Amino acid sequence: MPSALAFIFLFLNISLLNGQSPPGKPEIHKCRSPDKETFTCWWNPGTDGGLPTNYSLTYSKEGEKTTHECPDYKTSGPNSCFFSKQYTSIWKIYIITVNATNQMGSSASDPLYVDVTYIVEPEPPRNLTLEVKQLKDKKMYLWIKWSPPTITDVKTGWFTMEYEIRLKSEEADEWETHFTGQQTHFKVFDLYPGQKYFVQTRCKPDHGYWSRWGQENSIEIPNDFTLKNTTVWIIVAILSAVICLIMVWAVALKGYSMMTCIFPPVPGPKIKGFDTHLLEKGKSEELLTALGCQDFPPTSDSEDLLVEFLEVDDSEDVQLMPSHSKEYPGQGVKPTHLDPDNDSGHGSYDSHSLLSEKCEEPQVYPPAFHIPDIIEKPENPEANLPPTQDAQCSIPYFHADVSKSSTWPLLPGQHMTRSPYHSIADVCKLAGGPVDTLTSFLDKAGKNVLKYSKTLETEEEKVAGQEKKSFHSETKQNTSQPLLQENAPIVYAKPPDYVEIHKVNKNGVLSLFPKQKENDQAEKPGVPETSKEYAKVSGVTDDDILVLVPDSQVQNTALFGESAKKAPPSLEQNQSEKDLASFAAASSNCRLQLGRLDYLDPTCFMHSFH
Amino acid sequence: MINVQKTGTLLLLVMSNLMFCRSVHPLPICPGGNCQMPLQELFDRVIMLSHYIYMLSADMFIELDKQYAQDHEFIAKAISDCPTSSLATPEGKEEAQQVPPEVLLNLILSLVHSWNDPLFQLVTEVDGIHEASDAIISRAKEIGEQNKRLLEGIEKILGQAYPEAKGNEVYSVWSQFPSLQGVDEESRDLAIYNKIRCLRRDSHKVDNYLKLLRCRIVHNNNC
Repeated sequence: MPSALAFIFLFLNISLLNGQSPPGKPEIHKCRSPDKETFTCWWNPGTDGGLPTNYSLTYSKEGEKTTHECPDYKTSGPNSCFFSKQYTSIWKIYIITVNATNQMGSSASDPLYVDVTYIVEPEPPRNLTLEVKQLKDKKMYLWIKWSPPTITDVKTGWFTMEYEIRLKSEEADEWETHFTGQQTHFKVFDLYPGQKYFVQTRCKPDHGYWSRWGQENSIEIPNDFTLKNTTVWIIVAILSAVICLIMVWAVALKGYSMMTCIFPPVPGPKIKGFDTHLLEKGKSEELLTALGCQDFPPTSDSEDLLVEFLEVDDSEDVQLMPSHSKEYPGQGVKPTHLDPDNDSGHGSYDSHSLLSEKCEEPQVYPPAFHIPDIIEKPENPEANLPPTQDAQCSIPYFHADVSKSSTWPLLPGQHMTRSPYHSIADVCKLAGGPVDTLTSFLDKAGKNVLKYSKTLETEEEKVAGQEKKSFHSETKQNTSQPLLQENAPIVYAKPPDYVEIHKVNKNGVLSLFPKQKENDQAEKPGVPETSKEYAKVSGVTDDDILVLVPDSQVQNTALFGESAKKAPPSLEQNQSEKDLASFAAASSNCRLQLGRLDYLDPTCFMHSFH
Repeated sequence: MINVQKTGTLLLLVMSNLMFCRSVHPLPICPGGNCQMPLQELFDRVIMLSHYIYMLSADMFIELDKQYAQDHEFIAKAISDCPTSSLATPEGKEEAQQVPPEVLLNLILSLVHSWNDPLFQLVTEVDGIHEASDAIISRAKEIGEQNKRLLEGIEKILGQAYPEAKGNEVYSVWSQFPSLQGVDEESRDLAIYNKIRCLRRDSHKVDNYLKLLRCRIVHNNNC
């Protein structure tokens, strides 16, 4: 007996020393049913004892005494047993045992009592779809939809599934879980636009275990369209407001020039020397005096005035008024400045400038034939003014030659005295009368002057042609002289400053006689012995009277008288349409450059008064 | 003077009441005069009850099982046939779908009925025995209450959907739970364990059958 025991111990020790032993006790660690119709049990094998070990699962049902073996070891993987539908009975307890067997021995696990009803754990839901939708009030929400797992029979109601979703934004740390009950869709509101969201679902039978979380899906919530739209509109509104402000500012600064660009003002008649301010004030007397009207109605003495007055057109305001300087103080009769662009709006501007201009204006003043538009009130006086406008000049200037009485030699056949004086008379009449009639008269006078200028132009050309011939032959200008002498203006000897204008030479140079000789030469053709020319301006008196001094440099070359003879026939041919253009040219010819002052030959315009 | 005032106020009250009453239109409870709860709603209510009953019985079992956790021998000994197994209730999905709905409803009725007495007995048996006896007793009482409502609901369904089958409840003689009078402690515990196990199972059966029937009758197998 003791030897038998010893042998047994020895055998065991030998086996132990070899490292072989019966297998360890396996353990069934989990049994699960995904659909309440099948189930699987997994076990953990114990130590195998160094020998290949077989595992077998045996089970018996409640109320039955027979033991069965696992029908399927493969389907659910290693160390598992899968019970298919036919082997699964619900509402019955299974008693399951796993046996491990090796060469040395076997061992069995503890039995596990399993009721399939209570070990249900489904697969996660599938077909998870995410969609961003909009409600009628533009509110956005996330529409989550999924399907139950394939093998569960939910349709017949055998399997009742409950779901749960969880979502989180990309930046969030924790998941937001929502129980959805038995429905397979869910709406999530109040999501942050522009962010990416991750969504997962899982499911659970009405009585059982939760499944694992299913496939993660992500979606990006688009930016709220209305919000974006509002922001865009706000930006657009701000930009347009800024642009409007800039435009208003620009218009305010340069509005006048822009307006003239877009709507060029209609040129109106201008009467140089006509002060609309006086007209506005209603001081007709001052206005008339400004126009050069001594009294009203004109007297017979007016004829002399025409002869005696020397028209000098310097840039702005100088005139020679021999005897009538006292009577017409401050009269600035300007020879007209012909403006090449006569039909432009300069007329109106110049009228304003003239009316308010200084007495001493440089030659920069734009030369223009202006009939001041008496109607026009100073409009935008600040625009288009000559750069050197001097507002202190209070002498109004009557531009039109209608009022000019000059000491220029009268052209034959002309009654210088009459027509200008007619003009003056008319002007004086009209000055007190309605403004528009005056304007029309001025226009008419202007037209007359224009006509005259055209003839003058033709005359000038002829004069130029003839001058060459006569220049050489007539150094003394005998032929011209008689004509000139015929038309020699009568110059009053009273004021010492006044001289008689001898002639106008080719270059437009003023040829002046000394004053003492005037009386002798009044309407007498004669050859002036001296041909001193008072071409140099010594200065301007306070009464705006030009003081000339002799200048021997200037020569007498003008054959103005001859050309004047030929004027009448051509005068009739003039047409008003051409006058404007020709007048401009003629006026430039009439202009005499003497020193720094421009002299405009009034005889140029005398024809128009017939 | 006072009488006049009283009558005046009374008249005023009456008039105002009449006016109010005129503006009130009584809502018809039953559209078309047929006062019946729709079947779907009946089923929903019944299933809610059955679900609740199951949850109660499951909690009861978990409480009890804590005491005997992993005591395999005890469990092995405790498991025995439930008395209600004599009822020919279907044991699987295919079986249940083959049973006609009215028959199944009647089976359910029988099943629920059969638990009235055992539940009542359980309350007295458990009292004072276990640590979790209070939890078990309260739940047992609750299940008893809910079972009555459940019976009413199922009978209503039967009367509405299958009125001809009403009253065909199976009154089979089934074995009863062993009496626990004069039984030793261990046997008593084993008996209680088994009873609660059977209760949980039967309430689950009822719940499952009703859900099957709902999908079958109301949604036409398209839940």
